[in-house]
Amino acid sequence: MRIEKCWFCSSTIYPGHGIQFVRNDAKIFRFCRSKCHKNFKMKRNPRKVKWTKAYRRLHGKDMTQDSTFEFERKRNRPERYDRNLTENTLKAIKTIDKVRSRREAKHIETRKKGKKAQLMREAVKELEQSISLVKAPSVLKEDKSYTLPKIKVKVSQAEAKNQPMEE
Amino acid sequence: MHVEVTTPTQQQQRTFIQMRTVLKVVDNSGAKKVMCIQALKGKKGARLGDTIVASVKEAHPNGKVKKGKVVYGVVVRAAMQRGRCDGSEVKFDDNAVVLVDKQGQPIGTRVFGPVPHELRKKKHVKILTLAEHIA
Repeated sequence: MRIEKCWFCSSTIYPGHGIQFVRNDAKIFRFCRSKCHKNFKMKRNPRKVKWTKAYRRLHGKDMTQDSTFEFERKRNRPERYDRNLTENTLKAIKTIDKVRSRREAKHIETRKKGKKAQLMREAVKELEQSISLVKAPSVLKEDKSYTLPKIKVKVSQAEAKNQPMEE
Repeated sequence: MHVEVTTPTQQQQRTFIQMRTVLKVVDNSGAKKVMCIQALKGKKGARLGDTIVASVKEAHPNGKVKKGKVVYGVVVRAAMQRGRCDGSEVKFDDNAVVLVDKQGQPIGTRVFGPVPHELRKKKHVKILTLAEHIA
């Protein structure tokens, strides 16, 4: 018994779940549910479908490089049964899981960092562009409290004088 | 040369292997295509791993099996999905058959492409040992 990964969304497939498709060159495509199977039949690329793990990894949404992923590797050589080893593994699973969830939370925090400045910038832009929805432009001329303070910039270059038209 | 499409469009609803289903022969018995004329088990037709009676529609000029002969065959690949013992399902690209005699011994000496491990349950171990890939 082995817990497989879905070809489309990379979620785990527990025994007895899903469907597998064997191509004529003996490549096996496993799917966790009919949703993933249907998307495969529609020839969708999992890297372009937003809810898949492949998309999230590709676009930097999820943590991709971490030493904790090493533990979840597929090993084709069966391990000889050893009670101590099993016990240690069970203990390690808890620790590794804790470490990973902590690192993932940190990853999300760092991703969120630039967001505040971006929101501020967007808010300023919106205020400038669509203040007329709240106050008519004529009112704004009298009451300055709705607009941002204007910054005066000195123009060093003297304006060219208008030449009188030649008759 | 017949070019295989790696992932054919599978919008068609796949169903049982029944009378007049044309199947590919994936061994070196000499037959290329056979048409199912009787499924030996099941009311609706044959599925993955079942045995059928078929008539040879296309054959290589100097093979063991000649065109027009009535042969027995084991369905080693079926496009219709089939439940596995653990509850999941498996399906293949095409419908393919390996020709056997009445006792269940394969006529050819080679089997091409993937075959399901369920053949062991059906007592076709010989086909499994000849196969390249077991899915």
